[in-house]
Amino acid sequence: MIFDEVYSVLTAYLPPKVDLVLSVLVTFVLALIVMIATPIILGWVDRKFSARIQSRYGPIYVGKFGILQNFADVVKLMGKNFVTNRYVDKFSYNIIPILSSILSFLIISLLPLGSSGLVFVSLPYNLLFIYILLAFSPLLIIIASWGENNKFAVLGGFRSAAQITTYELALIVTFISVGMLNGSYDIISIINSQSFIWNILYLPLTAIIFFIGSLAVIERAPFDLPESSQELQAGWRIEYSGLKYGLFLIGDYVKLLAVSIIFVSLFLGGWSGAFLPGIIWFWIKTIIVLMLLMSLRWTLGRPRIDQLLSIGWRWLLPLSVINLIIVEIVMLI
Amino acid sequence: MEGKGIELNIGPVHPATHGVLKLVADIEADTVKNAEVEIGFLHRGKEKTAELRYFNSYFPIVDKLDYVGALNWEILWASTVEKAMNIETNERVKYIRTIMAEMQRIMSHLVYIGAFGQDLGNLTFFVWALRERELLMDIVEEISGGRLAPMYNRVGGVFYDFTDGIVEKIDSALLRIEEKVKKEYKAMTYENSLFMMRSKGIGIMSQKIIKDNGVTGPNMRAGGIKRDLRKDEPYLAYDKVDFDIITEEESDVYARFMVRIREILESIKIIRQLLKSIPEGDVKISTPWIMKVPPGYTFVRHEMSKGEGAMFLVTDGGLKPYRLKIRSPSFYSLQALPLILEGCKVADAFAITASIDPVMGEVDR
Repeated sequence: MIFDEVYSVLTAYLPPKVDLVLSVLVTFVLALIVMIATPIILGWVDRKFSARIQSRYGPIYVGKFGILQNFADVVKLMGKNFVTNRYVDKFSYNIIPILSSILSFLIISLLPLGSSGLVFVSLPYNLLFIYILLAFSPLLIIIASWGENNKFAVLGGFRSAAQITTYELALIVTFISVGMLNGSYDIISIINSQSFIWNILYLPLTAIIFFIGSLAVIERAPFDLPESSQELQAGWRIEYSGLKYGLFLIGDYVKLLAVSIIFVSLFLGGWSGAFLPGIIWFWIKTIIVLMLLMSLRWTLGRPRIDQLLSIGWRWLLPLSVINLIIVEIVMLI
Repeated sequence: MEGKGIELNIGPVHPATHGVLKLVADIEADTVKNAEVEIGFLHRGKEKTAELRYFNSYFPIVDKLDYVGALNWEILWASTVEKAMNIETNERVKYIRTIMAEMQRIMSHLVYIGAFGQDLGNLTFFVWALRERELLMDIVEEISGGRLAPMYNRVGGVFYDFTDGIVEKIDSALLRIEEKVKKEYKAMTYENSLFMMRSKGIGIMSQKIIKDNGVTGPNMRAGGIKRDLRKDEPYLAYDKVDFDIITEEESDVYARFMVRIREILESIKIIRQLLKSIPEGDVKISTPWIMKVPPGYTFVRHEMSKGEGAMFLVTDGGLKPYRLKIRSPSFYSLQALPLILEGCKVADAFAITASIDPVMGEVDR
C-alpha cells in the first residue's frame, strides 16, 4: 500500500505518533492529486486526440499545447450557478453526482498503479470488489433518472440499466475465467502469475469480450446510448449542469482509466516486461489501451439499444460462458 | 402488456432535429406509435416579402430559404424572373450557373451525410464532411465574395466572372473530395457494419407514400423512381453534359444515404465536363437594377439538392411581384415523415428524420 511506503520513509525521520498522522495526511494528499489530476489530464488527452482524428487543433490557447485548458474548464464549472428544475427530487438529484464520482474513485483506489506497492487500498479478492463497485452504477443511474422527472432522463435511465446489467454478466464471467486460470481473485497475484506468458495469449476471446463489455459498462462511446446526445439530448444527465455535471464527467474519465488498468492487469501482464522498469511498462501498456478505447469513441457510431442488448445476450454472454467452461476443463486436466 | 405510453416532445431545440423541427411522438416502450410534425418555428413570411421588394433585391432573401443550398435557389429565382421578362442569358452564364449549382449540390449533400453520421453518434464524420465542404466554400468565396449566402446571381447573369486560376482550384478540390468519398467515407459509413446495422431496413418509404405526398429529389430516387429534372426537362447547361440518374431500390435510410453519396460523384462528373467546354462571353447582359416585368404567370422548376424546387410568379407589370409561391421540396418530404416514423424505435426516429434531409429555412419560408 502507498500508506506503508510513506510510513516507512517518514518513520526514520519523525518521532512516533507524529509520523503516523503525517503519513496519513501525505497519503490523503497523494490520493487527492490522483483524483484531481487524472480526469483533467485524461480529458486533455481525449480532446487533443479527438482533434487529431478530426483534423482540428483542439485546445491550444491556455498553457503550452492547451494543457491547462481543462483546469480552466474545471474552474468555470465550479463558478457556475446551480440550476435546479422545480420538479426534480432534490435529495436524489443532489446526492447522485457525488456518489457516482466516489464510486469511480473507489475503483481506482483498489487498483495497483504501476507496482505491487502502489495501491491506495489493498484488499484480498479486490477483483470481485471492483465488480461489485461497477455493478452499483445502474442503481444510481435509475435513481438519478427517476429523480430528475424528465421523459428523456427516464428513457436514458432504463436504457442504461438494461445495458449495464446485460454486459456486467459477461464481465463477471470473464473475471471468473481469469481468476480461475491464475488461481486468485487478487489483481496483484494475477499480475505476478503472468510474468512469463500474458493471459491474452491463453484467453484471447475473453480479452475481446472484456474489452467490449467494459466499454458498455462504463457507457463509453460507441456504447453511450444512455446519454446519447443526438437522441436523448443527454439522457439521464439532462437536468444536470455546472459542477454536478462536471462530477459525472470526472467519474467517466476515472472509470475509463480504471478499465484500461484492469485490462492491462488481467490480460497484458501488468508491469511484466523486459529491459525497462516495470512501472514504465505498466503505463506504456495502459496508455496504449486507453488510446484504443478513446479512438473507438471517435470512429464508430452507436448501435441501437435492442441491437446492443442482443449482441450482449446472444454473443458475449454465451461465448464467455463457453470460454469459462473450456478454461475449467483445461485446468482440471 | 398494454401501457399508456408517454408523449415525447422532440424539438424544436433538439440537437438532432436539424434546425427547429418539432416532433410530437407517442412512445410505448421504446416504440414510436404515432408521430406528428410541427413546423412554423422559422416562418419569416418570405413569399409576402417578395411582394414588397424589387426583383433584384429579393436575391438576399432567396439565399436564406435553404441555407445549405443557397445558390440553387438564387438560380431558380433568376431563371423565373428571366422567363417572365422573356430574356435569354449568355451561354457562359448558363455554364457558370450550372457549375455553381452543382458545387452547391455537393456542399448540401456533404452537410447532409455529415449531419446524418452525427445523428448516429459519430461526431468525427460530421467534422470530416464539413472539412471537405470547406474546400468548395473557399472556391465559392473566391468567386462571389460570399460563403453561406453568396448573393452571386442577378437577373440577366451573375455578378462576377470566374477568377484566374479558379478552374485548377476547382479541379483539385473535386479530386480531393472524390478521393475522400471513395475511401474515408466508405470505411466510416457506407461499408461500415455498425453504420449498416443502424441504417438498413428502417424508415422504408414505399412508392405509394412517395407519390401521395409529392416527395421528390434524392428521397424519391432512393425508392426506385427514375426522375430528375436535370435530365427530364434540361435547363441551364444540363443538356450538354452526360450524367446518370442515380436510383436505389430499397427506399430505406441506407438507400437515401447512398443516393446522396453517389450523386456527389455524379456532380463531380458534371462539373468536370462543364469546366472543359466553358465558352467565352459576358457574364451578364445589361438589365436595369430596378425594372418592370410584363404581366403574366410564370412557373419554373429546378432540381434542388433536396428535390424539385419551383417558383410560381404572378406579375402585374409593376416594379415588384404581385404574388410569389414557392414550392420547397423539404416541405413535401416532411409530410411523409409521420407515415414512415410509425412503428420505429425511438433511436431510429432520429436517423429517419435526418435521412429525409429537412431544412427548416425552406419548409417554413
